Amino acid sequence: MTDTRDRDDVRRPPARAPRILGFVALKLGGGALSLLLVVVLGFFLFRVLPGDPARTMTRSAPVSAEQLAALRHRFGLDQPLYVQFRDFLGNLVRGELGTSYTYNRPVAELIGERIGPTVLLVGTATVLAVLLGLWMGTRAAWRHGGSADRWFTSVGLTLWSVPTFWLGLLLLMAFGVGVGPMPGLFPVAGMSSPDVPPGVLPRVLDVGHHLVLPCVTLVAVIHAQFMMVMRSSLLEEMGEEYLTTARAKGLREDLVRRRHAVPNALLPTVTLIFLHLGLVVSGAITVETVFSWPGLGLLTYEALRVPDLPLLQGTFIVLAGSVIVMNVLAELLYRVLDPRVRAS
Amino acid sequence: MGVRSAGVRPSFPRAAATVVIAGLLLPVVLAPGALSANERGDGSGQEGEATLRVGIQQEFDSLNPFLGFSRAATEVFRLIYPTLTTYSSEDFSVVPELATDWESSRDKLTWTFHIREGVKWSDGEPVTAHDVAYTFDRMMTDSAAATANGNYVDNFAEVSAPDDGRVVIRTETPQATMRSLAVPIVPEHVWSEVDDVAGFANRRMPIVGSGPFEVTDYRPQQSLTLEANEDFWRGAPTVDRLRFVNFENSDAAVQALRKGEIDVARKLTPAQFDALKGAENIERVKGKGRRFYELVLNPGAANSAGDPIGTGHPALRDVRVRKALDRAIDRSELVDRVLGGHGTVGAGYLPPIFRKYHWSPPDDERRSFSLEAADRALDEAGYPRGPDGIRRGPSGRPLDFEFVLHGDSSTDALVGKFVKEWLSGIGVEVSLQPVSDNQVNQRTTAGDFDMVISGWSVNPDPDYVLRLQTCGARPNPGGGGLPDSFLCDERYDELYARQLAEFDRDARVELVKRAQGRFHEMATGLILFYPNALEAYRSDRFAGFERQPAERGVITAQQGYWGYYRAEPTERARTAGGGAGYRSAAFVIVGVVLLGALVVFSASAHRRRTAEHRE
Amino acid sequence: MTTNPPSGNVRSRRLAALADSWRVYRAERGGVLGLAVLVCAVLLAVLAPVLTDSAELDVTGVDASALRPPGAQHWLGTDESGRSVLLLTWWGARMSLLVGAAAAVLSMVIGTVVGLTAAHFGGWVETVLLRLTDFFLVLPALVLAIALSTVLSRGLFTIVLAIGVTSWPQTARLVRAQTLTVETRPYVERARALGGGHGHVLVKHVLPSVLPLVFATTTLTVASAIIAESTLSFLGLGDPSRISWGAMLKSAMDTGAVTAGAWWYLLPPGIGIAVVVLAFTLCGRALETVLNPRLRGGAE
Repeated sequence: MTDTRDRDDVRRPPARAPRILGFVALKLGGGALSLLLVVVLGFFLFRVLPGDPARTMTRSAPVSAEQLAALRHRFGLDQPLYVQFRDFLGNLVRGELGTSYTYNRPVAELIGERIGPTVLLVGTATVLAVLLGLWMGTRAAWRHGGSADRWFTSVGLTLWSVPTFWLGLLLLMAFGVGVGPMPGLFPVAGMSSPDVPPGVLPRVLDVGHHLVLPCVTLVAVIHAQFMMVMRSSLLEEMGEEYLTTARAKGLREDLVRRRHAVPNALLPTVTLIFLHLGLVVSGAITVETVFSWPGLGLLTYEALRVPDLPLLQGTFIVLAGSVIVMNVLAELLYRVLDPRVRAS
Repeated sequence: MGVRSAGVRPSFPRAAATVVIAGLLLPVVLAPGALSANERGDGSGQEGEATLRVGIQQEFDSLNPFLGFSRAATEVFRLIYPTLTTYSSEDFSVVPELATDWESSRDKLTWTFHIREGVKWSDGEPVTAHDVAYTFDRMMTDSAAATANGNYVDNFAEVSAPDDGRVVIRTETPQATMRSLAVPIVPEHVWSEVDDVAGFANRRMPIVGSGPFEVTDYRPQQSLTLEANEDFWRGAPTVDRLRFVNFENSDAAVQALRKGEIDVARKLTPAQFDALKGAENIERVKGKGRRFYELVLNPGAANSAGDPIGTGHPALRDVRVRKALDRAIDRSELVDRVLGGHGTVGAGYLPPIFRKYHWSPPDDERRSFSLEAADRALDEAGYPRGPDGIRRGPSGRPLDFEFVLHGDSSTDALVGKFVKEWLSGIGVEVSLQPVSDNQVNQRTTAGDFDMVISGWSVNPDPDYVLRLQTCGARPNPGGGGLPDSFLCDERYDELYARQLAEFDRDARVELVKRAQGRFHEMATGLILFYPNALEAYRSDRFAGFERQPAERGVITAQQGYWGYYRAEPTERARTAGGGAGYRSAAFVIVGVVLLGALVVFSASAHRRRTAEHRE
Repeated sequence: MTTNPPSGNVRSRRLAALADSWRVYRAERGGVLGLAVLVCAVLLAVLAPVLTDSAELDVTGVDASALRPPGAQHWLGTDESGRSVLLLTWWGARMSLLVGAAAAVLSMVIGTVVGLTAAHFGGWVETVLLRLTDFFLVLPALVLAIALSTVLSRGLFTIVLAIGVTSWPQTARLVRAQTLTVETRPYVERARALGGGHGHVLVKHVLPSVLPLVFATTTLTVASAIIAESTLSFLGLGDPSRISWGAMLKSAMDTGAVTAGAWWYLLPPGIGIAVVVLAFTLCGRALETVLNPRLRGGAE
């Protein structure tokens, strides 16, 4: 969404940093600061929500004032805000995220259950989207202005302009429910069928079958980003002087491109993949909701409907935090990988 | 090819191919990890066994019967834990369950229940009166254990088990609802080892219980599986396995029903129900609902100390205004247009499914739809229209009402639109305020509304919902309590108290009807309609279900376990398993083959083009 | 011709520059197409009250049956309460465009202020603001927008706020980079040497050279804001009492239009979003090409 649906601006980290150690320290420090910001934001944002959490927990059950007071006490809601924050930080360090109002279970446990499916969906979709995007971007840039370029760009931009959930709904209608004489080819919801014969292979195949539609939706929406980045970065690379040198050495055109231009253009693009994980996460929330995929996104949606504050807070911190961590990793990785930066 | 491999770096296409393969393998590698949490085999799919698969759209908030009170969870508790009594599928009359019979002392304060002999917990221990006494006692002494069903024991003074076969309950005041204590009884030998009820998830499989089914597998957000209890005292259920399958919305459930992935889908919207008409192998069930759908007008909210609370509009304290608003609402139009005809026009407080208690206003008390009459009534009551067409109260304050709605409910959204239009026709302005369910509860309890949508599922014993309209239901200053319409009326309260202490059935019915009449007269809650419960099932796998009540009842979410217990699987349900697994495997293989073909094709196309380029 | 150049001269120079830009823009086929679509969409949206009868949006005023397929009377069929989907889509454009534009403007204002301040003042101000920008840049925007819309009361303003607050970092980075470039230009340094205050330098010299780029970015932000609006509505955080494309899709979902096979209810709002967003994206890309000579050279 918004900031993540951005353009193909090639964000290049600073070309020269004085010392590698200083650079690493700077990045790590920045990441730590961001994480802290997420935690602070996560805590205070959800404290201003109108409504009494104790009543949320009891929902429509009739309770006495004493019961409410006891509940508030159990969840520490009767403490002053700064004490709550202190306890919250302490718990966080121990890996505890509070107790969900709706499920009456530790939030960390609930999140733990859902991470696997999300990693599976997001991981598969990202890998496929990256490959598709890189391949299409390379093709488009190679024959710049050609029919492949025009097609890829228009299709990419169009898919880009479509709301993820709507695309999911259409796919669901077409391939899940079936249209006219065509039966529904794929399951409409969930990650696995409950009545799969035992054994690893049938189970894996079953999950794979469930994975197809959500994965295709996610890939369709996010691949355009990678394609455009790869395309523009390769176009830029092809104007560089060293290519002229390479050509002058007598290397054939496509060899020049493949051996010199593509690897060099690949690097900033791959880094960008990490930087744009936010988009993938946003996409995962809507896709998981549409296809009832039992991951973190769906958990967020469920928490949102109640709203279950500790759970929302937990998913917020985990989702935002993991994106930040990935980001720092990407910047460090770039530093290690980029021959130009390394050489300096 | 030789040229390509000459490079120091692997050339891009080959690297891409490598990664494509890696990408395709990724799910295979990751899937077992993602599955590992739920690795327990459930041994399903054996020949000759029938599984009933029910689609649900609500997560089990907890499998701990002391904590879980979502409708999905209470339904499971009815299947796995015994209750003292239950409701018949025929007409909701109270029938013996774990208690074979019962009697009360002359002052109606002491009740003795005789416990059925020979009933066993699923781990082989006998079910005795001590388990019953333990369950009630825990709820009375441990506040966490009172979370879900605490209201049943509010009035209890003491519970004891003089021997294995008898439970004696003493209450503070006479209570007519003692025959319908819908509290799941838990095994003492298991639960006495649980110190912290609030932190106990009750997820050790199989869960020790003693109902017609036994929970054997739970995958949060995916499914809950129950195996038939062959030793159930009433006899083994007709199906071998029951499975609740989670869906995020009813659309997904309906699609699964169409494809035969589940056998029963429920809570259908009118559009879905109509769309299933004539669908192959699908039978629709239009049951009378237990719910009433109510529009509450804030009559001047106050807490239990009598202090005014909230932001209610002063004009609504005038019963003439409330009655005028009522006349501006076309209930039959709402049933037609909002429910698509799948409901009954609202009248008395209790829905017509409970034929005995249901009451309709007689003709001279009925406030039929007429915008002219409503308009005139407001004129006469002294609320003239201002220059902008909006009426003004005596204080000069315009009649502009805040209408609080459940933001998630499409029914609320539609009803809101209709009501807003109708009221604007009589010079009353309405601003719609859709908020989360929680905030609806919150604002209702705080009295921060002018109009709000409410609605309750009514139990066969109407005491619970009748109590909502008493002075005692008003919130106490500390914030507890559960108000509905903030009606606090002496005559209503008197009728309520009398019905609660009345043990003669017909006399009680009469009192309940008079209380409803008073409620209607005060016009604090306008009963708009009673929506039908819309369900559908696979007729190729199930021949039928026991409905509750027998006449136009529902097949799931009953007050009891009848629908699941006496489901009628067809021969097909026994011979053909779900089969989705094999089919899905086939599709995946086809998919992989297609994808592979695509890769090969594009690679060869690429090579061809490169070749052209060389020439 | 020092700190206060004659305004007429500047105006004519800018007009000339504008005409020049328009010439370049016209060469971008996608941009022209996008602009044409946008003009049509905005015109239709603005003129909806004139061209159509709003009374037909009143649920009590229509009597067609629910979810009726397209036919002679209702070209795009009816919704769950018998209203014309064509009419709803038409009116929905107003709200979607309004929310998109308002959110984009909000994000533009925040982004510009942050970017300008960071670049102009430098030092610790820049460090803090940059840190903040980077933080918001990597934060999954939808997650934050969800959190914000849950916390605030439901309504149009909340949606605009949630989208605006989460989408400004891109603009801030662009503005900062541009400001840094502009501030090294001789005329700005001259203005500063002659005693122009911060306000003077920023408003008179920096802002005018940064604005065109900001405009291009904002065009792209509108596109993402419209998608964001529909997504938040779909997640139930929108204002269902107003007709927007997102709200339409939400009610289509809630009432079971997918199961009922009511494609005529599901397709129009989605296509509406896609077309408008695509148009904004094309315009924004074309504008960027016009304003960024490097891109222009690289692209053709």
